[in-house]
Amino acid sequence: MTDSQHIVSSYDRDLEGVQALIIKMGGLVETAILDCAKALELRDEELAERVRKGDKAIDALMEQINEETAFVIARRAPAASDLRVVLSVMKMSNNLERIGDYAKNIAKRAGVLLQMTPIDGASGAVRRMAREVELMLKDALDAYIQRDPELAQVVSNRDKEVDQMYNALFREFLTFMMEDPRNITACMHLHFIAKNIERMGDHVTALAEQVIYVSTGKMPEEDRPKADSTPYEIHGDPMAGKD
Amino acid sequence: MYDNPNLERKVAQQDTKISARNVQVFYGDTHAIKDVNIEIPSRTVTAFIGPSGCGKSTFLRCLNRMNDTIDICRVEGDIDLDGENIYDKRVDPVQLRAKVGMVFQKPNPFPKSIYDNIAYGPRIHGLAKNKADLDEIVEKALRRGAIWNEVKDRLHAPGTGLSGGQQQRLCIARAVATEPEVLLMDEPCSALDPIATSQVEELIDELRDQYSVVIVTHSMQQAARVSQKTAFFHLGNLVEYGDTGQIFTNPQDSRTESYITGRIG
Ligand SMILES: Nc1ncnc2c1ncn2[C@@H]1O[C@H](COP(=O)(O)OP(=O)(O)O)[C@@H](O)[C@H]1O
Ligand SMILES: [Mg+2]
Repeated sequence: MTDSQHIVSSYDRDLEGVQALIIKMGGLVETAILDCAKALELRDEELAERVRKGDKAIDALMEQINEETAFVIARRAPAASDLRVVLSVMKMSNNLERIGDYAKNIAKRAGVLLQMTPIDGASGAVRRMAREVELMLKDALDAYIQRDPELAQVVSNRDKEVDQMYNALFREFLTFMMEDPRNITACMHLHFIAKNIERMGDHVTALAEQVIYVSTGKMPEEDRPKADSTPYEIHGDPMAGKD
Repeated sequence: MYDNPNLERKVAQQDTKISARNVQVFYGDTHAIKDVNIEIPSRTVTAFIGPSGCGKSTFLRCLNRMNDTIDICRVEGDIDLDGENIYDKRVDPVQLRAKVGMVFQKPNPFPKSIYDNIAYGPRIHGLAKNKADLDEIVEKALRRGAIWNEVKDRLHAPGTGLSGGQQQRLCIARAVATEPEVLLMDEPCSALDPIATSQVEELIDELRDQYSVVIVTHSMQQAARVSQKTAFFHLGNLVEYGDTGQIFTNPQDSRTESYITGRIG
């Protein structure tokens, strides 16, 4: 990314405009991640409702970003780092929109879980996981603003930890369900919630990779270790994976 | 992403057509080209881009020794065409220019008939044995120039009566009539409207399965559209030379970046 300005200054304003929208969208998504987990832990139906309603604003921002990037492409025919900005903005807005959807889904399940007996410690663990993903997103957006591929790489590496948190929760929920079948409904919801947060982490990672692309022109090497081992676990055995 | 072989029509051969080494050009005291090294592949469109006065036209003219016609111009270094030094004393510049044809910014048909515009080169190079032969050469060149259908019924009308876009395609047809191996084009579309520009670009893309085309252009979009290789010149230096996809998505030199993104360098 060159710091110098375009000869046509309205071009700079166009590009800054779409990037500002991404940052704004990122802020809304960060809040949604924290709030849906908080609503779950504090059994706060009002907050859950706010997250569910707030998703519309996130979707609207994505629409606006799509329109404005299309306009920049048509009007400016961007090249080199400008082209990478436009391409990355489109992908990042997609990632953020997906994360917003997951937050909304979690808020819906939080509403359902209100009507059930809480599962010991589960919502606290979920909230820690959400907090971790939100921090990753915050760092990824900072890395974007500063065009810092190293920080983006650090964020991308941290996704392993989210995967591990998900694995641990998955096993825990399995144990609860084995212990008492009355826990099954709640644990199923909690499991989907944990899975949603794990997917959020994947989208944050994809976003961090766009930061690397926009700053270096190259995508990072494609052998990110996946720490999600649950596809290989034998679900009939409560001791599976416990070591 | 620019490694994807499907992205661009495959370049048939990548062997070197023109190889320039340590080329310097001076106009009197002005050092216009500074130690340029480049290998231009055959059957490929190579674009020269860069700000006005950076030496694109000067370097292009080195490739068929057009600079010989400028008194104060001095060229140093080696330029090989198929491994033969074109500045060798034994090379006849007129013969060379039949092999390395040139199309200019402003269409410049001779004040003669369409037919004679094309027949001129083949006649002086003795490429036709008789009238029927010449007719065939003219038709073939006009077809290659993608203008045959528009002029076949008025071959004896003056070339200067055609539209600007038609005149430029006529000039391209004239350049290919001598069976060149390389076509040099210096801003061939700058006097043309968008439709005529598209027609010439389409023609350039067709020409590259027979010729090595080198085009100087002010339009970055044109360079991105028509070329497979792009060379960026700046103040007489060849700053960056690479695959067009790479130059336009991920240039390595900050001067290239500034120029193609329209920034103050
Ligand atoms: N015939 C000439 N006589 C003297 N100087 C020339 C001549 N042609 C070009 N130059 C100088 O050489 C430099 C490169 O010019 P040119 O090759 O025309 O650049 P470009 O085609 O990139 O605009 C410029 O400084 C220009 O003034
Ligand atoms: Mg010029």
